[in-house]
Amino acid sequence: MRALFYTVLARIRDFLRPAAGDADFDQELDMHLGLAEEDKVRRGMSREQARREARLELGGVAQLREAARAARGLPWVETLWLDGKLGLRMLRRSWGLTLVGGLAMAVTIGLGASMFTIWDTVAGTRLPLNEGDRVVAIQSFDKVAHRVHRETPLPDFRRWRETLKSVEHVSAMRPFVPAVIARDGADDSVAAAEMTASAFQLARVQPLLGRPLIEDDEREGAEPVAVIGYRLWQEGFSSDPAVLGQRIQISDTPHIVVGVMPRGFGFPVNQRLWTPLRTNPVGEGRPGRADAFIFARLVPGATLERAQAEVTTFGLLPRDIAAGTTAQLEPRVVPYAAGLFPEVNRNTWLAGVIFLLGALLLIPPCANIAILVYARTVTRRDEFAVRTALGASRGRIVIQLFVEVLVLASGAGIAGLLLARQFSGRLARMVMPTMSPLPFWMDFKPSLATVLCVAGLSLLAAAIAGAVPAFRATGRWRRAGFVGLGNRSAGARLGKTWTALLATQVALSLAILPSAMEMLWGVFRPTIVGPGLPVEEFLTASIVMEGDSSRFEHLRIEAVRQLTSEAGISGVTASADLLLEEPSADIEVEGGEAHDAQAQFNSVDAKFFEVFGVRFLAGRSFDASDFGPGRTPVIVNRSFVTQVVGETNALGRRIRYRETEPTRQTAPPPGWHEIVGVVEDFPVSNNEPTMFHPMTRAPHPVNLTIRAPSGIGPAAGRLRAVASGLDSQLRVRDLQSLDEMYWQRRSFDHMFGFMVGAVTVIVLLFSMAGIYTLMAFIVAQRWREIGVRAALGAQPRQLLIGIFGRAAVPLLIGAIAGCAIALRLHSALPIAEAGGRSIPVIVPASAALMIVVGLLAVAGPARRAIRIDPTEALRVS
Amino acid sequence: MVEPRSAILQGTLDLMVLKTLEQMGPLHGYGIARRIEQVGEQAVIVNQGTIYLCLVRLLQKRWISAKWGTSENNRKAKFYAITTAGRAQLKAETENWERISGVIGRVLQPGSGLPAEASAKAGS
Repeated sequence: MRALFYTVLARIRDFLRPAAGDADFDQELDMHLGLAEEDKVRRGMSREQARREARLELGGVAQLREAARAARGLPWVETLWLDGKLGLRMLRRSWGLTLVGGLAMAVTIGLGASMFTIWDTVAGTRLPLNEGDRVVAIQSFDKVAHRVHRETPLPDFRRWRETLKSVEHVSAMRPFVPAVIARDGADDSVAAAEMTASAFQLARVQPLLGRPLIEDDEREGAEPVAVIGYRLWQEGFSSDPAVLGQRIQISDTPHIVVGVMPRGFGFPVNQRLWTPLRTNPVGEGRPGRADAFIFARLVPGATLERAQAEVTTFGLLPRDIAAGTTAQLEPRVVPYAAGLFPEVNRNTWLAGVIFLLGALLLIPPCANIAILVYARTVTRRDEFAVRTALGASRGRIVIQLFVEVLVLASGAGIAGLLLARQFSGRLARMVMPTMSPLPFWMDFKPSLATVLCVAGLSLLAAAIAGAVPAFRATGRWRRAGFVGLGNRSAGARLGKTWTALLATQVALSLAILPSAMEMLWGVFRPTIVGPGLPVEEFLTASIVMEGDSSRFEHLRIEAVRQLTSEAGISGVTASADLLLEEPSADIEVEGGEAHDAQAQFNSVDAKFFEVFGVRFLAGRSFDASDFGPGRTPVIVNRSFVTQVVGETNALGRRIRYRETEPTRQTAPPPGWHEIVGVVEDFPVSNNEPTMFHPMTRAPHPVNLTIRAPSGIGPAAGRLRAVASGLDSQLRVRDLQSLDEMYWQRRSFDHMFGFMVGAVTVIVLLFSMAGIYTLMAFIVAQRWREIGVRAALGAQPRQLLIGIFGRAAVPLLIGAIAGCAIALRLHSALPIAEAGGRSIPVIVPASAALMIVVGLLAVAGPARRAIRIDPTEALRVS
Repeated sequence: MVEPRSAILQGTLDLMVLKTLEQMGPLHGYGIARRIEQVGEQAVIVNQGTIYLCLVRLLQKRWISAKWGTSENNRKAKFYAITTAGRAQLKAETENWERISGVIGRVLQPGSGLPAEASAKAGS
């Protein structure tokens, strides 16, 4: 083993300075010949004869030098380097293949790498804190429901804080999103956290200015204080160094700024404002707010297992029976990030699945490139005949072809990595919209693991697109005898395998086409037919009370009344959340299957549906009695019925939320809710299941939507005037048109639609390129035969039938198989849930489109066939 | 027709070179080649050039070391010497060689192809 290690070292050293080794070796051979010659002269030979004998005994100097060079350096690296250079030259020559193949590979590898980066980043548990991997979360796991309760009651927190020995700085936090008014501006969606002072000690990050929160701040009756983040300091206080001691209004309460945290600090998730969390029993007074996310740091020397054992010993305190019996709950200690995102586990098999998915995505473009490479390889048979004559083995030629495609795949890999670097963050936000803004430890930069994944995908791509066709081509030549390669009639055939491959490709293209078309229709239909609402007529805003908010409800009702009577305003409605901005929560349907359904929810006033002009499909709208105590009616949209209830008649079914913690400023109402009405999806692009509850008491601040058919500009002015007229402390915020909001949301869908569209077009183009290549080769191979047939009187029509007949075989086989797969896939995929919209007879229409695309691809070679000059063909024959 | 000289077995050249250096002390390439020819009494074919390829291999494995010096007739020459690792390797290889050659010798002796009992049965 040691000898092998030394050999590798020596070879690398000699590879890096080949000239020195050569000179040394030459000098040694000279010395050898000199000594041998003198020896022989001493033994009585003439000098001439001695020199000749010495050379004979030594052997061929040139061969020896070559052999020594091979023994010293890394000859395969030099060979690969040469192959690489040749590969680059071939890429320049076949620029069409380079462009189409490289682009397809880059996009596919980029997609695979992005998925891998997202997994790697999200599942990564290492926090960018001092010894961040020793920060853990403590939570409870429901053994019966198999779900994690991220938050734990505060009594358990207090007990753990007092008793646990394997962890220190046991901390609690509750995220909230308050409206904040700072000195230089207001923002109604600041990510903030109520957090114990111990969390700052746990994080081991010093404030930029002032101090962190301290235990005294948590005392009942202590002056309200806040620590602000770097961005809030920049935006709300213009980076004023004298910010300490200034006031900041959080929700309705003024707080004193006591510290500013440094740039990039977003602990515990992505917060930029921190207030003390009162964990004493008095602080639990607010309903629904007695739980918090608990986390701690392992003490030096402690392990996760030891902490788990200790926490298991202490167990959980008995709980309210309604929340689940304690017997079925067990406390768990998990890495911090895994505690916040329990749905993402760092299982290596998941990485394997992602890699496999990337590999599967690579197969269609690579199979196409393989056809093109095969076609190119057979045209280069003269070159390979010469190389074979010079002693190159079949393996050598296969490696050369593999390296040529590897050069292309490597370039595509690098481009894919750049794409992943650029887009994985955006892609992550697209697939995980709830993760915005992102946790502070996630930056979605490709890691070493991603680079390795890309390298693996590039090698795989080169193997499929380079090695497979090379083996096929050289195998055929080997059977024909390599020496016969110079003969133009040998070897250049595209056999049954490629016909089968083309049929497969047509089938696969057709298989995805209907689903892709429905997705595209779903995404672009609202753009084409419009949102289904006159969005330009709607103005949205929120109203908030500065200072004492006890009169807010009364003022809100009065503002709505006054605005409704204004000229140019046809209706005003209030809701807890704005249309298109509804939060979502897990729900269950009474008597339904226990599956993870999710729905958006909103609380609205009685005029809501009337103002938006929404059509009722079944049931009724809210009436005055629905806003009274003890009533829990709910109105759902069409998507809710199709996706969640799954039955035509949803009226009377009851639904409840699995958790009633607030996600933004509103919490899903507890208890069972009975469906009393079903409305059409609105706007038409909204296919999220949505539930509307009667707004019994407006939250503060509340959102208003004003319908102003004659223009929203004057309506905005009237809203401000009404608000200031009612109370000088009533403020109007976030004025914007629904039109603007709607198209902003649509731009995201458009991006997704363009991606689906691009992939569909690439798949179709590849099918076309594959068929074109096959037919072009058949025509090139048979041009003499076609020419002779033309000379013998065959009509162009007969020639065309022959050509199209040959292409029809893979097309028809592919179309039949593709239809079968498409029907299966189409019924299995959740197209409607993903935003698609069904199109009647889409499968036969797609098959027809595919056949048209195929015939278009044959048109070029067919045209070439009927233009073959019979006299030229006869002359060559 | 009987070959008067036989080609040396693959891998045994390394063993011969190591043994030569152990016995003779530091030698240049030509000296090693001459010594092997002398000891082999011209019975084995050693293409002298292959000695240098063998020396490259042994140097890479650090079983021998090399140093430039002056030959007996005042020519600049590279002298090779066996290292401690080389001696250990030589010992192991020699034992292995003796064991294998012993086995092969016994197999090739007349009548040794069958066990004694089987031979007796065959005879009866």
